[in-house]
Amino acid sequence: MKRYFRELSVAAVLFFVLALLAVLAPAFYEPQPLLSLLTREAPTLVLASGMAVVMIARQIDISVGSQFSICSVSAGLLAAAHWPVGWVLLASIGLGAALGAINGLLIAGLGLPSIVVTLAMMVTLRQGLNLVRQGEFVTLPDGLQWLGLNQAAGQFALILATLGLVAILAFALRHLVAGRVVYAVGSDPEAARLAGLRPQLVTFLVFVVMGALVGLAALMNVVQSPQVQPLTGTGLELKVIAAVVVGGVAISGGRGHLWGVVAGLLLLACVSPALIHLRVEAHWEKAVQGGIILLAAAADGLRVRGRRDRAGT
Amino acid sequence: MTFPSLPRDWKTFFLRHEMLLLYVLIAEWLFFYFAGTTTNRRGIVVGFGTLDRQFDILRHSCEIGLLALALTPVILTGGIDLSVGSLLGLCAVVFGKLWQDGGVSIPVAIALTLCSGALAGGFNAVLITAARLPPLIVTLGAYSLYRGLAEAMTRGSVTYTGFPDGFLFLGQERWLGMPTQAWVFLAVAGLVWVLVHRTTYGRTFRVIGFSPEGARFAGLPVARRLGLVYVLAGVIAATAAIIYTARLGQAKADAGLGYELFAITAVVLGGSSIFGGVGSVHGTLLGVAAIAVLKNGLATLPLVMRLNAAEEFSGLLTGALLLLALAAGVLAKKLWRRGSGAHATATALEPPKTA
Repeated sequence: MKRYFRELSVAAVLFFVLALLAVLAPAFYEPQPLLSLLTREAPTLVLASGMAVVMIARQIDISVGSQFSICSVSAGLLAAAHWPVGWVLLASIGLGAALGAINGLLIAGLGLPSIVVTLAMMVTLRQGLNLVRQGEFVTLPDGLQWLGLNQAAGQFALILATLGLVAILAFALRHLVAGRVVYAVGSDPEAARLAGLRPQLVTFLVFVVMGALVGLAALMNVVQSPQVQPLTGTGLELKVIAAVVVGGVAISGGRGHLWGVVAGLLLLACVSPALIHLRVEAHWEKAVQGGIILLAAAADGLRVRGRRDRAGT
Repeated sequence: MTFPSLPRDWKTFFLRHEMLLLYVLIAEWLFFYFAGTTTNRRGIVVGFGTLDRQFDILRHSCEIGLLALALTPVILTGGIDLSVGSLLGLCAVVFGKLWQDGGVSIPVAIALTLCSGALAGGFNAVLITAARLPPLIVTLGAYSLYRGLAEAMTRGSVTYTGFPDGFLFLGQERWLGMPTQAWVFLAVAGLVWVLVHRTTYGRTFRVIGFSPEGARFAGLPVARRLGLVYVLAGVIAATAAIIYTARLGQAKADAGLGYELFAITAVVLGGSSIFGGVGSVHGTLLGVAAIAVLKNGLATLPLVMRLNAAEEFSGLLTGALLLLALAAGVLAKKLWRRGSGAHATATALEPPKTA
């Protein structure tokens, strides 16, 4: 119970908000808008899961938004060239993994700080895409939207796929060697090295996984609309990092659970519809989200301090 | 130049970083001087070497330059401030609202805006020093919060315009030959330089960046110094907001969107380590200049003009330049270590300050 205090507190706040909405604005629970909200957030959840892995490994990736745009546009172009959906999916994931591998090589290989490398990559990739495409939209062929299913079925499929993926990732992270290694490296890279692990390889692979998940999320987003807008991923990185931080992953690495991240993301995603249903002006959305991030951070700070006090230092 | 706590080999290395950046800057400038001269459709020469063009570059780099100056002490202490761009937007809106809705005079509005910048910086400072939260997280939250407040204050759509000419003089005219805001920029740069490089007060930033615990055991008031750094960043961001408003003649909630990343890029390009303890104000200024000349110079190249893609090219090259500078730094360090026969014990994952 104490161990999961941070995650449980986020879940409790989320539950409180949902309960509040149930009493004050039952319209929030009409199936179609709710389903749309969840579908819209599904790609972000996939990204947040990847970011959680990156941050548990004591790294950060600010370039996910730009990677997301590049993968979206590429997937759109391939689909427009009548590639089958399966191949588009593979290509998108492969492209994302390749972009992640560049990050990984620079960070793990050269030992450069991830925040600066991915910052540079963010600008480079974004402007590279703008240069090549000049902000042009990609019109998708018929049959790609919702993967050829009707809208409700497509939305259900996307949500289920996302939940399945997150569940698998969460299990792997907690119970498989491949996942425990990430925690070990994130807690203390030097100790991990002395224990016979290879921190550099783990760091590299973490960024490759992040990239692959970006590719997947990009396609999940592409199939939701008839067009690909090249600016879709702008600012996504900070949204994703915010969800991960609210979900209780420590920026200093080695701590966090994916289900906390799910709760954190849902909490942030609820802000906008909640404001609308509670008849507060929607322009407060960002301010409220910022407040939630700061509250979550303050909760972390208090917990750490409490532990320090008990330890008598 | 002062790197008191570094061994001598490091000293030469980092001197070289700033010198390298200076060479890059000169090379950029010469390249554009010879390659960038062209005529536009009306037959007017759009040269790169003209004095007007230099002043234009200066005018357009003032806001990001100020934010980079605000970030240099922050990054020296090993912290980061992602909220400066959002704070620029919030302060611009506060300024516009004070003047238009509040009915106060321009000087009072400027003073109050600077105060709100200090207040917002102080809010960050309290969370970072008193609650001991990581600066990255605090300023990420503040990034959202300040932009959100700006949007809420303007309901996402109000634009404040119609400022008096006396105020627009600050952003659009010249004073003693130079763009007016350049004087402000140079004054702030001078103040920050003296603070960081010529006062014992500022030297503690570097000490804190090297080792916060060590600084505390040495009896330095770490929390107070850190607090000052973030408050200073807030005040400088507010200054940038006023200049931004004066240059464009309007204040909107989206002012300065994404500027924080350009400012961080300039600081890191200028040789500051993101882990703290290493860096200089003149390096930051060179970084700002290198990015500004690149962006402005590219716009004068015939090929780029034809494609109308100055922004894209400059972003692409700035990112590449940053990666190159970082990689070159690491490789030079490795070569130096091999050359001096020192035993390379550091693993690649360790921050350089422990190496």
